[in-house]
Amino acid sequence: MAGALTEKRIDWTGIGFAVVLTLVIIFPLVVVGTWAFANVWRYPSVIPQEFGLRYWNQTLARPDVWSAITMSLSLSTVVTFLSALICLPAAYAFARLEFPGRSILFFSFLAGQAFPKFGLLVAIAGIFLTLNLIGTFWGVVLIQLVGTLLFMIWIPVAAFQAVDRRMEEAARDVGASPVRVFWSITLPQAGPTIAAAVLLSFVGTFYETEGAWLIGAPQIRTLPVLMISFINNQPVIQYGAVLSVLLWIPSFIALLFARRVISSGSFAKGFGG
Amino acid sequence: MSLTPASDIVGKKPGRGLTGLLLVAIPVLLVCWMVIWPIISAIGRTLWLPNDGGTGRSFSVETYKFFFSDQYSLNNLYVTLWTTGVCAVLLVLICLPIALYLRFAKGRLAAYVQGLAIFPMFVPSIILSYAIIRVLGPNGTVDLLLNSVGLPHIRSPYLTPWGPVIGLVWDNIPLTVLILISGLGAVSNQSIEAARDVGAGRFAVLWHIILPRISNSILVAVSFTVLGIFSSFTLPYVLGPAAPEMMGPFMQRTFRDLNDPTNAITQAVIAFAFCIVFGLFYVRSVAKNRAR
Repeated sequence: MAGALTEKRIDWTGIGFAVVLTLVIIFPLVVVGTWAFANVWRYPSVIPQEFGLRYWNQTLARPDVWSAITMSLSLSTVVTFLSALICLPAAYAFARLEFPGRSILFFSFLAGQAFPKFGLLVAIAGIFLTLNLIGTFWGVVLIQLVGTLLFMIWIPVAAFQAVDRRMEEAARDVGASPVRVFWSITLPQAGPTIAAAVLLSFVGTFYETEGAWLIGAPQIRTLPVLMISFINNQPVIQYGAVLSVLLWIPSFIALLFARRVISSGSFAKGFGG
Repeated sequence: MSLTPASDIVGKKPGRGLTGLLLVAIPVLLVCWMVIWPIISAIGRTLWLPNDGGTGRSFSVETYKFFFSDQYSLNNLYVTLWTTGVCAVLLVLICLPIALYLRFAKGRLAAYVQGLAIFPMFVPSIILSYAIIRVLGPNGTVDLLLNSVGLPHIRSPYLTPWGPVIGLVWDNIPLTVLILISGLGAVSNQSIEAARDVGAGRFAVLWHIILPRISNSILVAVSFTVLGIFSSFTLPYVLGPAAPEMMGPFMQRTFRDLNDPTNAITQAVIAFAFCIVFGLFYVRSVAKNRAR
């Protein structure tokens, strides 16, 4: 379809896709954004009667919103920190050390991917029930931690493998200690990819809804869980809209960083593409 | 992207083997405890039920018999299978043309289309649910627009089985497109030009040259979708009808609201059974890609 002859033709297919996708993908989000800044929007007006920040003040004055924000941020921080603490050394070992069962253990992290996720969560919840972890902070931490393992090991392994071994060896040859080599050569090269994995795990945990709802409710209320109850029980439309905009911030940050990673085909390969 | 070949390994001293095992021990044990053990335990505790007298357990398929004889459970299973099937077909029909376009088109417009197709990845499903209610729900934006030009309201898909379908398709577009584009990378321009030269039309090229080469990618995309949709929770819970409900909300309600873990876990095992073929195929493809 692309070639010297067709270059000057108008790309109607492309225009068609662009228009339809803009309508289907961007338009609904614009509607939510508009609701967040509508002080008054009564049926059947096509645009709000009055724009303003009234509902931002009201939403941000609600104690349940603040406690959900605090809960979401502390859960994501704890989970990401623990995940980095246990996964990064493991990733280094998978990339650099020889040990029995290395290959099978490496692929064992795929095990969770072979099962429908919510079914697995229910099976885990059955075990948590006997351990009294239902409705507790640490129960939710555990379930979300498991969700980060695959990314937090596989991506850093690729990062460690991509480090130029000759530079490490050269540093060793001039007498640098292994710790020094790791700190000054390995980490700076693997760092950006590892940082991307950490960001991914933070954002992924922030939006994790199903585990938090199944294991944590009603004691543990994260922002997405609060959003579900707003959708189900909150007659004031704008609260949900403002919360949606707030909720989207971490995703927006991830979007800024991740665009390059995702466009480069290797990402789809990670999903079996 | 495979594991490093042995020649690249630092530790050849015998002590290093232990160091490696110790470093990977915690995450591996976590997978055993939180993935493998729950599955074994789920199968075990739904097949070995406590005896009536409260002493010991014995083999019984009672909970499974109940599921498959209970009309309400069967309706939920049926609506889940229906939703999964409809979503998988729709996703292939929607994403294959997008992927084909992106494979062959260059330039700014193509980049814009690709950006849009990937964008839903950065919209959490809970925000998506809310957006769908605001746009397609009762008195939503579509109703407003129709009303302003004097047309009647739509029959809103919100709280019908089509609500989750719309949401799940929207949510799964990015990865399906990415997997298909990655598969289309294996179709060379030369093979298409060669077919064109001997007079093959667009459809013939698609049918005889492109589809056979990407059938594996389509299967991977479908497996991934089936796994994700069969037990999806948030979108069906928020957008779907109260009854029949999909397996995700059904399991959740049985576990938490009805406080009946044994039946909830039975439902989970049934979900595993329905997805196992797709799950194994998907995991095998990911592992093969990684080992390449």
